Amino acid sequence: MPSLSTELLVIGAGATGLGIAWDACLRGIKVVVVDQSNIAQGTSGRYHGLLHSGGRYAVTDPISAQECASENSILRRIIPHAIEDTGGLYLALRTDPADYAHEWQRACQEIGIDVEPQSLDQVLRREPALTKSISQAFQVNAASLDSFDLLNSLSHSIRKTGGQVLLHHRVNEFIIEDNTVVAAELVSELDQTTMQIGAEIFINAAGPWSDQVAALAGVKIPITHSKGTMIAMANRLTHTVIHRCRPPSSGDAIVPAGSVMIIGTTDIPVSSANDLPIKPSEIDFLLDQGEELIPGFSNRRPLRAWSGIRPLYNPLHDDMNSTRGISRSHVLINHAETDGISGLASIFGGKLTTFRLMAQRVADFVAQELQIDDQCCTDTVPIEPEEKEFIILSNRTTRLLPSENNARDSVICECENVRRSEIEAYIQSSDHFELDNLRCTTRLGMGPCQSAFCSVRATGIAFSSYETEDLLIDLTSFIDRRWRGTSLLAWGQSMRQIVFSRRLYLELLGIQQVSGDKS
Amino acid sequence: MTDILIIGAGLSGLFASILAAKRNADVTLVSAGHGGLSISHGCIDVWSKATSSLSLSRLKKNHPYRIAGKRALNIAMEAFEDIMHDASYPFSGSLSKQLFIPTAIGSLHCTAYAPISLAHSQMTKGTPIAIASIAGLRDCFPEMLVKNLRSNGYLVERSISLSLPGSEPYRDLYSTDLAYRFEDSAYRDQIAQLWKPRLSGIHCLGIPAILGIELFEIPTPPPSLPGLRLEQVLFSTAAHFGVNIILGSSAIGRIDRSRKLKRVSGITLQTPSNSRQLKAQKVILATGGFLHGGLIAHRDGSIQESVFNLPIDYPENRKALLAPSLFDKQPYEMHGVRVNSRMQPLDLKGEPVYENLFSAGGIIAGADRQSEGSRQGIDLATAQRAVEAALE
Repeated sequence: MPSLSTELLVIGAGATGLGIAWDACLRGIKVVVVDQSNIAQGTSGRYHGLLHSGGRYAVTDPISAQECASENSILRRIIPHAIEDTGGLYLALRTDPADYAHEWQRACQEIGIDVEPQSLDQVLRREPALTKSISQAFQVNAASLDSFDLLNSLSHSIRKTGGQVLLHHRVNEFIIEDNTVVAAELVSELDQTTMQIGAEIFINAAGPWSDQVAALAGVKIPITHSKGTMIAMANRLTHTVIHRCRPPSSGDAIVPAGSVMIIGTTDIPVSSANDLPIKPSEIDFLLDQGEELIPGFSNRRPLRAWSGIRPLYNPLHDDMNSTRGISRSHVLINHAETDGISGLASIFGGKLTTFRLMAQRVADFVAQELQIDDQCCTDTVPIEPEEKEFIILSNRTTRLLPSENNARDSVICECENVRRSEIEAYIQSSDHFELDNLRCTTRLGMGPCQSAFCSVRATGIAFSSYETEDLLIDLTSFIDRRWRGTSLLAWGQSMRQIVFSRRLYLELLGIQQVSGDKS
Repeated sequence: MTDILIIGAGLSGLFASILAAKRNADVTLVSAGHGGLSISHGCIDVWSKATSSLSLSRLKKNHPYRIAGKRALNIAMEAFEDIMHDASYPFSGSLSKQLFIPTAIGSLHCTAYAPISLAHSQMTKGTPIAIASIAGLRDCFPEMLVKNLRSNGYLVERSISLSLPGSEPYRDLYSTDLAYRFEDSAYRDQIAQLWKPRLSGIHCLGIPAILGIELFEIPTPPPSLPGLRLEQVLFSTAAHFGVNIILGSSAIGRIDRSRKLKRVSGITLQTPSNSRQLKAQKVILATGGFLHGGLIAHRDGSIQESVFNLPIDYPENRKALLAPSLFDKQPYEMHGVRVNSRMQPLDLKGEPVYENLFSAGGIIAGADRQSEGSRQGIDLATAQRAVEAALE
């Protein structure tokens, strides 16, 4: 069995895991990150894109609120290219509890969250689509944060600094000697080969799967899974993040992201990381919540619904009826202290906005264990994007205009303006073609037609570089997953798109389900 | 006042208008937009199931084929072949044998009738063929096409890339762009000179569907020419037989309440600038299913018929309209207007809703057209029955 050794092995390539690896890299620690699938396939890639101001937790969870507020300004400094500075508005409607807004404002002031009261006039001039039945409004510095961009940049920076990111490798077993984890055995999800990685310390940052990873070492962690469902609506009806100024509840945030806007989320206890199915009642609930903030919202075209699983810290593990009250704060468990197993720690809970802080605390712990004195510097070192242009529609459009320097470059995904050269560059830089990874890297297939045409085009391009069978398996599994995300929205224009895509795939192109290992 | 008013300009509506006009009826055809043919593969699928051949007696009682009957299907296919022959756009095929037409990705589409240019690929199984791609043509995937054709048993000997005369076009060309250029005989001469040297030693050539000549053509994703050609041929045939065609105007059904029997009196036609009434003796509803606007799904789970608000069955829970996977059989395929053997839409008791209203094509309930591969066959057979009943 091939093997390699490192100082730190991080399990999970979400924001937390990559954040830890980045922090460790900057301290000169030798690090490997492994993930069972690809970057952004867990909670980080299934989030609504909100960079919190902290306001949401000011009343109920002041520690989280304070952390969000300070991380907000740090992230704006270190990863500006992934952030669209939309600003945010907190709106109390006439139907909302009257005194909450005052309590909220006071709490924000105590914590030090910038809150600026706005008149109804100001608000409506800025966002004319909003309801007029607003009783109070406040401006905060929330923003829209693209987690795909963030994670890709983190991964790029880690690799550039000497760290390793090993994808499609699932931890199968921990090798434990004298109550100390000394190595992990990994299985490739692509070809089922195994390998071993030895390390001095292992960090379990597997998010909603962290209980399963912990179980491999024979330890339990107090985790509760909470499902949050989101809907992306075609077009942006506001260019500002809109919050409901009421006690934190489902469907209280609308986030403009790229060419769409996302409403979220629900909060439903579920049993495992894979418990993602969405109920029609969740969809109706979210659309109705959107309608309260933006009249006409629920008649707009929904593009896609998806859900992510929050791994929440729940030491009591008793109240399974509601997860809304559980703190969004994060927890680091050193299994040497809790279970007598050395060399392994688990990190979970927290929020994407505070991923850097979580990573810092874990890296502090790692450094202490390894007796390394270097201090954290992730709050000042920028996370560099890959050396490619930023994914902004206007950038792409410019490249399509005639110029002397530009060779002809055709548009493969018309909705998101993804060009052929971007897909060819992706193929060049990856040893393995995966449409879903291409989507996360370029936004291909994320627009109104939900990849009806471009999935087939991109596969057609990939056929010139890769083997046949895997590409067809990948295509069928990708279009099936894209289709499932729209299939909950089977009414009006979305229904027509659903029927059209299916007819294009099955009747016009004759795509048949190819059985493969991926479901 | 028109004798027969047909709503919908897809395959069933156009075919019905030609059948009725050929029988000297005064026919008006209205449509809100392009019919379904513009995004179809341009072939006639009658029954493409690999596991069973079409046997009407084995179908459920409410299946459109069973209701329309074998006779209607046979007559419809003959009539269709005649129309295409007369329009010099002949189809090849039969009800008893399947054709296998390569798709743009190299899968095989199983169908009953195909235009000659596509059906020509039938003669080539086992004989060496070459596949041509055209530089700058959108949605042309030569590597994928060749690899998949080979795994489907075609003997693809060569793959060649052909270029177009003149400077490289600034954007990708759609198959419609190229077809337009091929209308010009000077352009065709240029192409012939450019391509001829490249084609020596090739016996049979597969090429994206842009030419409309021998060789065999492979349809591209929409805009796909075989569907557009079929649409164009049907439109010009309908016009030739005197059908009054009104496009770009949506229809709202009008009910005649002055008589004892329930009848429709025609439609209100909503044009971009105004609305006007169109009276008709008989109306044939050929508005299609969810995709083409005949049926509208609502968020509360209800399904609405868009012109006359006819009764439609729908599941209590809107989730039941769709199965989880793209590749599953989809319940929505089965929904639509229930009809009797005269193609009259029925109410929940099984009685005709209006005695002078008939229907044809995708709006009719009771068939999973996708998994049966029966879409166009049902369009033609039900249109045939609807016209017969309306002219009785």
